[in-house]
Amino acid sequence: MQPIQIFKLASQQAEWLTVRHTVVAGNIANVNTPGYAAKDVEPFKAVMEATGTKMAATHSRHFSDSKLRDSIRSNEINGIAVHPSGNTVNLANEVSKGSGIKREYEINTSIVKTVNRMMLATVRK
Amino acid sequence: MDPLSLSSRIAASGLHAQETRLRIVSENLANAQSTGDAPGADPYRRKTVSFSSYLDNATGASRVKVQRLGLDNSDFTVNFDPSHPAANEKGMVKMPNVNPLIELADMRETNRSYEANLQTIKQTRELVSLTLGLLRNT
Repeated sequence: MQPIQIFKLASQQAEWLTVRHTVVAGNIANVNTPGYAAKDVEPFKAVMEATGTKMAATHSRHFSDSKLRDSIRSNEINGIAVHPSGNTVNLANEVSKGSGIKREYEINTSIVKTVNRMMLATVRK
Repeated sequence: MDPLSLSSRIAASGLHAQETRLRIVSENLANAQSTGDAPGADPYRRKTVSFSSYLDNATGASRVKVQRLGLDNSDFTVNFDPSHPAANEKGMVKMPNVNPLIELADMRETNRSYEANLQTIKQTRELVSLTLGLLRNT
């Protein structure tokens, strides 16, 4: 039987999202701090690759998951106005990042719920 | 500590810093007309507030705190009012270097930052309730 990695992957992503949320909260709290540079965590890509779930591609037209993962990466420095005090926090960016995190977290928890329900349905006769 | 409760603590530190800032703004506004009481005495000097981020070593989170309360050393505006108790021999009275427009702009900015921090706390609560929702029987 193949090991079921979904729960492991989901909990890893949930952890990554919560850490990212902490970083965003720090950015928002420091929105008026002189000389503060906005921070972000490294993309989930590294964690994804360590877990080793890959989509199978049998045709060259199939989209590869590496492309999908690259789209998660945020470009933090590009397009951000640098304030004279050296503070690079863009409040609108941070707030939208926060709601993005919430959305991903919602997807994550509902996936876990669904998989759990599926497994229970299998176990029940 | 788990990152989500850390988020709300960071946001709370932001709220606290913004509250201090709002206090300073209201002090400045309240004292916008506070002159000295002796002839030639200095009036109220505008206060400033500066934030700094500090790294919480136990958790690695960057919280914010009020670094120091400073004084604005710009020049006082001078009005001609010979009947005023603080007027000097030429009849000039030094008025505080408080510009209400700057203070109001500062207040708006404080408001916005405070709102953003509140939003963070709200969001944290939603994330926690999503996690707790996993335990719920559906």
